[in-house]
Amino acid sequence: MAFTKKDVTLSEDRPKTLLLQKHSDYLASYGLNKDDYEYCMTEYLRMSGIYWSLTAMELMNQSSRMPKEEIIEFITSCQDKESGGISASIGHDPHMLYTLSAIQVLAMYDRVNAIDVEGVVRYVASMQQEDGSFFGDKWGEVDTRFSFCAVMCLSLLHRLDAININKAVDFVLSCMNFDGGFGSKPGSESHAGLIYCCVGTLSICKRMDALHADELAWWLCERQLPSGGLNGRPEKLPDLCYSWWVMSSLSMLNRIHWVDKKNLEQFILACQDPETGGFSDRPGDITDPFHTLFGLAGLSLLGNENIKPVNPTYCMPQETIDRLKLEPQILLI
Amino acid sequence: MHGRVKVRTTEEEKLRKEKERQEKLKVFKNVMQTIHHKRQQHEYDKELLELTGKVLASNPDIYTLWNIRREILEQIRKNNCDEEQLSKLFNDELNVTEYCLKINPKSYCAWHQREWVLTTRSDPDWKKELDLCNKYLKLDERNFHTWDYRRFVVSQCKPPLQDEFDFTTEKLLDNFSNYSAWHYRSKMLLQLYPDVEGGRPIQDKHHKHELKLVQNAAFTDPDDTSAWFYQRWLLGAVKTVTSLVVCTVTQIKTTVAFSKQVSHNYVQSKTRLFFDNVAINGDWISCNGNDHDCLWILKHNVTINDDIDVKVEYKDEYEESHVIKCLKYKPFTYIGKSDICFQNKYSQPVIEELNEQLEACRQLLLLEPDNKWTLLTTTVFLHCINAKLYHKEAMVNLQILKNLDEQRAGYYNDLISKWNIENQLPLDYEHKNLVFRPTFSDKLTSLPHLQYYNFCEIIDLSDQYLSSNILPSLKYLQHCKILILRNNKLHTLKGFPNIELEKLDIQGNEDISAEELENFTKNHNFIIMFN
Repeated sequence: MAFTKKDVTLSEDRPKTLLLQKHSDYLASYGLNKDDYEYCMTEYLRMSGIYWSLTAMELMNQSSRMPKEEIIEFITSCQDKESGGISASIGHDPHMLYTLSAIQVLAMYDRVNAIDVEGVVRYVASMQQEDGSFFGDKWGEVDTRFSFCAVMCLSLLHRLDAININKAVDFVLSCMNFDGGFGSKPGSESHAGLIYCCVGTLSICKRMDALHADELAWWLCERQLPSGGLNGRPEKLPDLCYSWWVMSSLSMLNRIHWVDKKNLEQFILACQDPETGGFSDRPGDITDPFHTLFGLAGLSLLGNENIKPVNPTYCMPQETIDRLKLEPQILLI
Repeated sequence: MHGRVKVRTTEEEKLRKEKERQEKLKVFKNVMQTIHHKRQQHEYDKELLELTGKVLASNPDIYTLWNIRREILEQIRKNNCDEEQLSKLFNDELNVTEYCLKINPKSYCAWHQREWVLTTRSDPDWKKELDLCNKYLKLDERNFHTWDYRRFVVSQCKPPLQDEFDFTTEKLLDNFSNYSAWHYRSKMLLQLYPDVEGGRPIQDKHHKHELKLVQNAAFTDPDDTSAWFYQRWLLGAVKTVTSLVVCTVTQIKTTVAFSKQVSHNYVQSKTRLFFDNVAINGDWISCNGNDHDCLWILKHNVTINDDIDVKVEYKDEYEESHVIKCLKYKPFTYIGKSDICFQNKYSQPVIEELNEQLEACRQLLLLEPDNKWTLLTTTVFLHCINAKLYHKEAMVNLQILKNLDEQRAGYYNDLISKWNIENQLPLDYEHKNLVFRPTFSDKLTSLPHLQYYNFCEIIDLSDQYLSSNILPSLKYLQHCKILILRNNKLHTLKGFPNIELEKLDIQGNEDISAEELENFTKNHNFIIMFN
């Protein structure tokens, strides 16, 4: 069967230096105009949007440009009194994804007490099922992303005791595949994003020993394409966000040196938009806060000294993780 | 935002587009407001179904709207609506999801809604769902949502597993580059053809058959990576047993190391130590402070005398018992090592197949000496067939691969370290020596299997290429007195574990700052040599 290699070519006139000020300006103005079309149409994921922007700003040491008190008030108003869960925005329903984003934001601000913490713990614990898996909300979607949301959220609140950790780990391990990777549920194909979630869960639960580290890390380093960028599955195009999913997983596996850091750095820098600021999935595409965070976080893992160190498990500034005295596991090599 | 190319437009065009968007936004906001209002008033009616459907048709990821639709459908169902009407409503809902999946075939919400409808209604048509999967997989053979949905449908309607296995064959023959199909196949292979008697993951006949299929795929296009991953898995599909590799008893410390991590529960219940045939009671403590570890320390109150008889007994995961007798290495020091072997063990038919394929790879390599995948596969075959015999050739190949596939040089370096150590360990275990001093021609970049050397008193890792990421692993060196890390690539001492040394030599690691060195020496009471 005919087969063409899937990759992109980096053009000569691509950005080659880090445009920090541009990114900071981009994120600071994002959402200032509440009638902006893109902003309004993404209301259903607002809480995660805030997490992406704030974390990116924190990593650039520019978080003072974010409206702190307004954000905290918004989070408070998104907590559902009955279930304790947190929604993406006012008028939306509580969900694990946004509950985690909210807790991450409050943890960075050191203000978790602004919400009903017990309510969050109750909500997260109520999502665990008999087999150790987690629902995303009361409607029963199961996914390893939600396992990660649960353990990350509870560990940030120092309340991992509220769930059955052994069962949570066993469920994640039941999603391991022939290539050492993980998918969204038992039987699902390996995908770098879900590998990050599963490896992250094991890192928080200190069960990294259960991984087939060499097999998994080999699969992960084979995500690097000639352009330097990383894809999320074999035979797919590179995408900037995989710089995070793959590199954070490799960091937890203590094998970040299995990819070519210089090449990857070139690809990440090429995904910047020198006009608007921000990063996009591939060079020349439209930027957004999601890829802006993962571009910066990726560069931080590569050791860029203009960006604060990021924690590979939590995707939050290392200083926050240190302040909370959390020690997610990194594999020995 | 994924895959949205930035297009340059004129100012005029921009204005026109912005105006269009503002119009759209106004409508959107109005509808959303009506929806929220009706929900607050509990007006769960057809109109609300229509409104949410209208918005979802262009924004299938607004999860709350799907929740509202489920609430409406549940309410209608509770209100004793007749079966036919209900069935029609559910069919309509399936149509809505299908429409949304056309807009975004990767919408988690739309796929989940479909699953919800099928498990909620009393008359699901699974055949139709399987057909839908077939159709969608023709449009995009790699959409993992469709594959996941297929597995969900199959779990409900339970067609013969063989049918699904054959489906993957069909998909692969159509395009060998379909990684999703290889993946699905791996799951079913283990279920359909396990080697129950031999304890191997896959029956010989099928193991061989799959290897042939992969070869066929890989030779069709060596640059297509999908089949290579499946092959790597097949090569690793051998029976493995966790073993206790070394037991060390001194007046200071008693430790046992395992070939891989085991749980506290396992060590406590399956391992027993005897001094002069008397079982020693005590608590097993993980060397790294985790519930799973490969090195365990026994805390006991028994005095170690000279000339005692020391042995350790343990049961492996197949409940088979093993006894290891410890020898006296010097006064008050007893060490017992097991026979270790890293060689994969295949059945005769599989090894014959591997030899044939190795030959085919060598032929292919003559034609294309610079093909990374052919060279890597040849190398892996060599290692799997007889790692000891082919050690030198494999090492040479890995060095070539470092140049052919520069991006992954770090991987090949670590693999060289690993295979060198695996080659050396059985030899080192034959000698009654308390020193570990690797002298490979290739410098070590990592320290795999370090727990095997935990009994050594002198560890000389000088003149290697070790970076600071190996430091936490040194925790395994529980009996080490002199540790030499001279002339390596350490840039920091952050992560250096708490171990009780007599002397540490870290000269010649120029990137460690003077300030850090000063602090480090202040906080440690053993002799530290640095420049």
